[in-house]
Amino acid sequence: MPVFHKLIHLSKQIASSLLKDKQPVRLEQSELFSDEDKAYIIKSLTEDASIKERLDLINKIDTKTDWETVKNKIVLPAKKRNWTYPAAAVLVVAVMSVYFIKFNLSTASSVKSPVISGAIEVGTNKAILTLEDGSNVTLEKGDSFNTKTVYSNGEQIVYNAKESKKSEVAYNYLTVPRGGQFSLKLSDGTKVWLNSESQLKYPITFKDGEDRKVELIYGEAYFDVTSSEDYQGAGFVVSNSRQNIKVLGTEFNVKAYKDEANIYTTLVEGKVAVSIDGVTENLLPDQQSILDTNTKSFTVGSVDVNIEISWKDGVFSFDGLTLKEIMKVLSRWYDIEVVFLNKATENEEFIGILSKDQKIEDILYTIKNFKIIKDYEIIDNTVILK
Amino acid sequence: MFYLDLDSPKRKYVKNAAKYTLSLKQYKAFFNLLYTPLCLFSNKYIEDLDTSKDIVQDVFIKIWEDKIEFQNENNIKSYLYTSVKNKSIDYLQTKQYRLKDRLSIQNLEKLESEDFFSREVVIIETSIIIERAINTLPNKCANIIRLSFKNLSNIEIAMELGISLNTVKTQKKIGYKRLKPLLKDYVALVAFLFGVGTH
Repeated sequence: MPVFHKLIHLSKQIASSLLKDKQPVRLEQSELFSDEDKAYIIKSLTEDASIKERLDLINKIDTKTDWETVKNKIVLPAKKRNWTYPAAAVLVVAVMSVYFIKFNLSTASSVKSPVISGAIEVGTNKAILTLEDGSNVTLEKGDSFNTKTVYSNGEQIVYNAKESKKSEVAYNYLTVPRGGQFSLKLSDGTKVWLNSESQLKYPITFKDGEDRKVELIYGEAYFDVTSSEDYQGAGFVVSNSRQNIKVLGTEFNVKAYKDEANIYTTLVEGKVAVSIDGVTENLLPDQQSILDTNTKSFTVGSVDVNIEISWKDGVFSFDGLTLKEIMKVLSRWYDIEVVFLNKATENEEFIGILSKDQKIEDILYTIKNFKIIKDYEIIDNTVILK
Repeated sequence: MFYLDLDSPKRKYVKNAAKYTLSLKQYKAFFNLLYTPLCLFSNKYIEDLDTSKDIVQDVFIKIWEDKIEFQNENNIKSYLYTSVKNKSIDYLQTKQYRLKDRLSIQNLEKLESEDFFSREVVIIETSIIIERAINTLPNKCANIIRLSFKNLSNIEIAMELGISLNTVKTQKKIGYKRLKPLLKDYVALVAFLFGVGTH
């Protein structure tokens, strides 16, 4: 069934549209179905009688009881220890509460424990706020900070929209260190999530009638920009020393780390234009532009946006990244240095999800279990992969 | 290769992935996730829920007993839906069934077609996502969202539920706000790590 995964993907897109009270455009454009079938699908999903019929059936299905029936009919692996299954360690999945499934890491540990000296902490919500007078305030969970213009509960920071607009534009900086993440709401209502090792410069209030400008000095940020229409038509510009992005009410992710030659801009919703030295590329939803800052050229392609932006929802998703690239992401969140003793392992590819709240040891243990690395060692903040 | 399926529509890495049988935990997780939709699916063919349940249970038992190997979540879903379809069609051709009901040749042809299969998979998968997402909302909010995608206007919803128009608007807002992250997560619903050999 070559198209089966397309059916599953399309189902998610239709569900997403309907739940957002939007037209299921992806179904309308789909080549998988005739017009007649499309109409039938919509009718089955939205018509009262069909919904009720389905709910009545669902209520007659008792998964728990029937699982017991099935379980009693199968031979459980306890009786046959030498089953072919290679101890499957499964990482962690953060899911909807209705069917939260969490797998424990494999506990077959007759293996010698790796050397670990020094504890590596999981990253937390933290940031440093630099005020207009140059003074710094540390924002951390449990600490609140309050002035006339801004309020923070230590997990996020919110700028007051009603504060009088002075003619002089005053800027604040929010710096998120390694091992941190933070979110903020600008005075125009735009929401920004900042990933580890990132810095954003922004005005306390925006001038009426002018483009709203912020600067992602370095790092990764996700923007949910309030519509220009709600803001007297003023556009929103995210600049960086290497690239500009002009937007008109939208959601997108920008990744511009200092130690990476590429800048990644991923559009989730709306419309943005990325530009460098007069070269401009328009992005559509689900597209990503990659700016190679050495050649100053853009490449635009389609991506799975959920993978690109999962970091802000508490997970890292990887779709075919190498272990080296993944370790770079992890090093920012856990504030660690990573050393590969065996260079060949650097290019092992991963597809998967890591929950951001697990300990680095758990992740390393899994990788070790899969024999990608022989062993690992943790000395202070350095992880050595052998 | 270290492989943890994301249920991504991109298949390029799947080719490299080894196939493995399920652990009991994974097996149970898939049962919990797919038993209801598969029963609904079988019922579309045979219109008999109790027999549908038997068919789906038999398919699940077969996976375990035969140690059938899979690569990823889509691979399992595809196998399950296809097996349930085949078994349901088989049932329609049994004597037991034919004594009770008579199925015309045209009808059987329609049920056997790919189009029917695809259409019903999409309807069931979509409705299950919607149902499970809405079930996470508070009752009042859930009712309003349910009515809203039956294409009822805010005023109609207010009248139907006997509440104020403003309540409808506020509850809708709350509902969408809460659903939004869930929808994003849905892609990451079941991530499975299918073991790797040495490479």
